Amino acid sequence: MDQSFKIGDEEIDGVPVVSASGEIDVATAPPLRDRLQALTTSGRSTVVVDLLGVTFLDSTALGVLVGALKRCREAGGDLPLVIEEPRILKVFEITGLTGVFPIFDSVRNAVGSVK
Amino acid sequence: MSMVQRKTSTVSVDLSIPVQADLVVLARLAAATVASRAGFGVEDIEDLRLAVEELCLSLVGSREDGRLHLNYECEGDAITVNCWYEAEIAANGSRGTDTDDLSLRILDALVDEHGHELRDGRPSAWLCKRRTDGG
Repeated sequence: MDQSFKIGDEEIDGVPVVSASGEIDVATAPPLRDRLQALTTSGRSTVVVDLLGVTFLDSTALGVLVGALKRCREAGGDLPLVIEEPRILKVFEITGLTGVFPIFDSVRNAVGSVK
Repeated sequence: MSMVQRKTSTVSVDLSIPVQADLVVLARLAAATVASRAGFGVEDIEDLRLAVEELCLSLVGSREDGRLHLNYECEGDAITVNCWYEAEIAANGSRGTDTDDLSLRILDALVDEHGHELRDGRPSAWLCKRRTDGG
């Protein structure tokens, strides 16, 4: 299993999609925060975050996502997440964040929800 | 890292790391190694890895100075992790944000017991996780 952190972005049907893979922790969360911040400050109010390749995620990563969600919603948009791995979903469940973020099992469904 | 096997069922591991964001992974790695060696299942190991990360973050927050000391003690079906923070200017590294609350919720959910205290004037935290049958 590749534990190294990678981040990428693309646009699907006009919706920005940021993909992260590997472990998102206190060391690797800042690049994700910067990427999301750059998109929201450039006027993108809705961003899909693809976490399908994420193998570990801590409270720092959750804080980055919550901050980005607040900015998106203030701008009238949203921050749908794509999660399939039960281990990652569990972190959102135990922190009560499954009721806060729209969560999808595929990028296609997440993009479709905001088009 | 040093490992002392006191008797058949007790293992004590000490780890001391500089407080740097990219080195907290070592605390997780040691937790996973001790838990795996103690026969913990994959689910329990993953729970412990995340809990130890949160324990460290609860002490140092986003600080990048001083040292973090961890002791992993495995006895029977339980692993206890003691963690304390040593810096020239001692202070609790609480991030003072919503992230602290998330950290607390994660610890509440993943371990059997956890706590914070000042030990000899140093911010300290501990947790205990017992092996589960389904782990």
